[in-house]
Amino acid sequence: MEREKPIPIGTTAVMERTGETMEEMYVNMGPQHPSTHGVLRLLLKLDGEYIIDCVPFIGYLHRCHEKIGENRNYTQIIPYTDRLDYLASMSMNFGYVLTVERLMGVKVPERAEHMRVILAELQRIASHLLWLATFGLDLGNFTIFIYCFREREMVLDLFEAVSGQRLNYSFYRIGGMPMDFPDTWIDDCKAFLDWFKQRLPEYDALMGDNVLFQKRVQGVGAIDPKLAVDYGLSGPMIRSCGIRWDLRRNDPYSVYDRFEFEIPVFDTCDVWARYMVRRQEMAESARIVEQALAQLPAGDIMAKMPKNIRPPAGQVYCRTESPRGELGFYIISNGSVKPYRYKVRSPAYVNLSALPEMLKGCLVADVVAVLGSVDIVLGEIDR
Amino acid sequence: MTPEELLEQVKQKFGDTVTESEVKGVEVRLTIKPEASWEACRFLRDAGFEYLNCLSGADWMTHLEVVYDLSSLRHPNKVHLRVPVDRANPVVRSVTDIWRAANWHERECYDLFGVRFDGHPDHRRILLPEDWVGFPLRKDYADERLVPYTDYGMEEKLPRPEAAPGAPKAAGPPKAAAPLPPTEP
Amino acid sequence: MTFASLVERLYAVTEAWGLPWIVPTLVVMTIVAAVILGYIAVAAMFLIWWERKISAHIQVRFGPMRVGGWHGWAQSIADGIKLLLKEDVIPAGADKVVFVLAPMVVFAAALAAYVTIPWAPGLIVRDLNIGILYMVAISSLVVVGIIMAGWSSNNKYSVLGAMRSAAQAVSYEVPLVLSLLGPVMIAGTMSMGKLVEAQGGRWFGFLPKWFVFPQIVAFLVYFTCALAECNRLPFDIPEAESELVAGFHVEYSGMRFAIFFLAEYANMFVVAAIATTMFLGGWHGPWFPLPGLPREVAQGLFGLFWFLVKCYVLIFVMMWLRWTLARLRVDQLMDFAWKVLLPIAFANLIVTGLVLVLGKQALLYVLGIAIVLLVAIALAARAVGRPVRVGKA
Repeated sequence: MEREKPIPIGTTAVMERTGETMEEMYVNMGPQHPSTHGVLRLLLKLDGEYIIDCVPFIGYLHRCHEKIGENRNYTQIIPYTDRLDYLASMSMNFGYVLTVERLMGVKVPERAEHMRVILAELQRIASHLLWLATFGLDLGNFTIFIYCFREREMVLDLFEAVSGQRLNYSFYRIGGMPMDFPDTWIDDCKAFLDWFKQRLPEYDALMGDNVLFQKRVQGVGAIDPKLAVDYGLSGPMIRSCGIRWDLRRNDPYSVYDRFEFEIPVFDTCDVWARYMVRRQEMAESARIVEQALAQLPAGDIMAKMPKNIRPPAGQVYCRTESPRGELGFYIISNGSVKPYRYKVRSPAYVNLSALPEMLKGCLVADVVAVLGSVDIVLGEIDR
Repeated sequence: MTPEELLEQVKQKFGDTVTESEVKGVEVRLTIKPEASWEACRFLRDAGFEYLNCLSGADWMTHLEVVYDLSSLRHPNKVHLRVPVDRANPVVRSVTDIWRAANWHERECYDLFGVRFDGHPDHRRILLPEDWVGFPLRKDYADERLVPYTDYGMEEKLPRPEAAPGAPKAAGPPKAAAPLPPTEP
Repeated sequence: MTFASLVERLYAVTEAWGLPWIVPTLVVMTIVAAVILGYIAVAAMFLIWWERKISAHIQVRFGPMRVGGWHGWAQSIADGIKLLLKEDVIPAGADKVVFVLAPMVVFAAALAAYVTIPWAPGLIVRDLNIGILYMVAISSLVVVGIIMAGWSSNNKYSVLGAMRSAAQAVSYEVPLVLSLLGPVMIAGTMSMGKLVEAQGGRWFGFLPKWFVFPQIVAFLVYFTCALAECNRLPFDIPEAESELVAGFHVEYSGMRFAIFFLAEYANMFVVAAIATTMFLGGWHGPWFPLPGLPREVAQGLFGLFWFLVKCYVLIFVMMWLRWTLARLRVDQLMDFAWKVLLPIAFANLIVTGLVLVLGKQALLYVLGIAIVLLVAIALAARAVGRPVRVGKA
């Protein structure tokens, strides 16, 4: 493929945008770096220790997900959605099958709906545990990494029992679920929840209550709530700005409106607020799983679906609450077995675009803390 | 305000630049000509739709389209706005000064579809390398590196949408791979 | 039968044989250096293994289990052999002489501080009458070695890391020295041996006259500064890999890196030894005469035992802190040294001086015990009534 003449890339664009004096220094963070959570390049423009501008460069993990989606039929896309946000595969699957079902007007059986909620909330716990582990690791607390992974292993064991996979489950199907829970799964899940509820105060004692950690995260990386809405932030990012917006409550899907759970909201808009929101969300997810297990009805797990899934011509944008924020799938169907246009609105993509705003006035050492608090997964950012 | 009332207001203000419109549940679906798209977005933002969920592109063979999904954090109504643009010269005015969320979304639309956004502060590719040639998500994107995918007999022969006369000829599906050699007994 | 008397006997014997004075001096220096190097090598290997085991048990795992059989005790030996056999890499463009010398300087500075450590009654290499001043001054030379290492690596991040490390070390030395002045004022001497002797005896028959009781504030300030001098978490910005700027020893590999590591553990032992000597009573501890040995030898052996126990308890606390706490940011670190620790050390100095001038030494003990009780009560109250800190907006 022939190349045109070089287009001015990142550095030059930044220089044109923020003006150039001789005192600034450009420092590159990534794409290989232990704390950027994936292949992300951050170009930082520094004045001494203060950050004047930050330009994120993404696309290192671009795998042509949307183009592939146009060449696969609807069921074949499900394993690809796993690999979007590989740390919350169940949530990605959930968003996708919900979109197709909405396009087709399919009613999913009750048992399958409850199973979906249980697995999605367990996935939220696992994803937040991994976030907490890597966040603590970036700040120098090595022990919380091992503690959180111990609990995450239990969740992964539960997922392995139900789907056969530890990471990319491909477990949801359009119209229901492929398999029911194995025999002792519900008891194992309840045992895990009992164990997990006692662990949250332990994490607090280790990290959350520690004044060193609090000094690192309080007042750092703040963003104005109006700007947060303008940037389209979602999930824990917007709930840490004092705005009570959770799609499970404000735009309920599946059977979330039958469960009682709080939406944790903090209003200091900084990294500390995001930590508290996610920490409390883990406790609330455990509550939801308990209620769903108690209300789990017997019955079918799969609706009557045709052999070739062929939604009627039309389009739909369906949004769900993944651990990182609002996950949207926009599908245009032209009546065939393959989507005509398939777009993923990834929450981390939008949250990351606000990073330069959050880093204004921060020190270099805060980049790691703020980036960790955004909770990005490059798989869904780059697709 | 109900979706019907909103639609009335939009039609009153924008007259015949609104080519299609529909109310589906809580969602207002509109199609607006590109000249009025920025004004319409501004009007909708002021009407309470301060949250841009998604800005995507679509390639209908005759034209390209920019699709805006808007919602509000205060009421449950949604807006689905579509702006068809000319395929030969796809230009739309950028809405980054209305919603900052549009910044990266428009860069991606440019990157994958080639739609140019007038007034975008940082008009560069985002997912692909800066010196890439071509816009991959267009239906006529041809690249020798595209690997043909066979459905192993499951693919159905479907009529493709009619291309308008004068539109660039679509590349069509890539040629099927050579048949596999017979396996040894 | 102290070490000093043995040395004098040696001098007398060699003079009787007609040898010049340089011979017994060299013999004594060689033996002493060999013994201390041997001790450092064994102690560092043990400390590395111990750190891995402690970190593992804090993290609910096992640590080394296989090498050598019982709980992987030979793991450090295996690691040492591995590091010895690695390729010796000097980065292109590095200043070769300085690059090679830097680890030696760091190690030599850490090693030279072992001269005035009082291991047991009478067992001290040289009881300098400026003992503690000498130890702190020599440990400062480590900073020179660090800057040499950062500069000679020909790597801009290395230089920045070395500068940060030097700034941290130099800042934390000021409250460190000030906090050590408290015990010096009480004992009235800087000599390490006499400082330990001044802590003998007990109050009311049970409370040992260790300086930690009247000088609890100074002890805590000293311990915090000691952590910073050793580049241990929460002050390990110079070594942190997950921050933006890499550490000063990033270009070192193989045996040179091993020397940096050995120097770090040697330094840890030195600061623990200073804390034990100045605050925890040195080699004082219960002892009884052993059958078949003269009294002094038994007292010496027990003294050595208690000294090592106290040192290793402090090192255990250092490791415990490393695997529990998060890291301080660079500016917070400097703030803490200059705006918090320094005023506290000054206040301690002023109060101690005033009380000593007024002649009421017992008041210091009362103040110290009162502070300890207050802190204990505050911690207990916090642990009992832990509020739920979750906002429900």
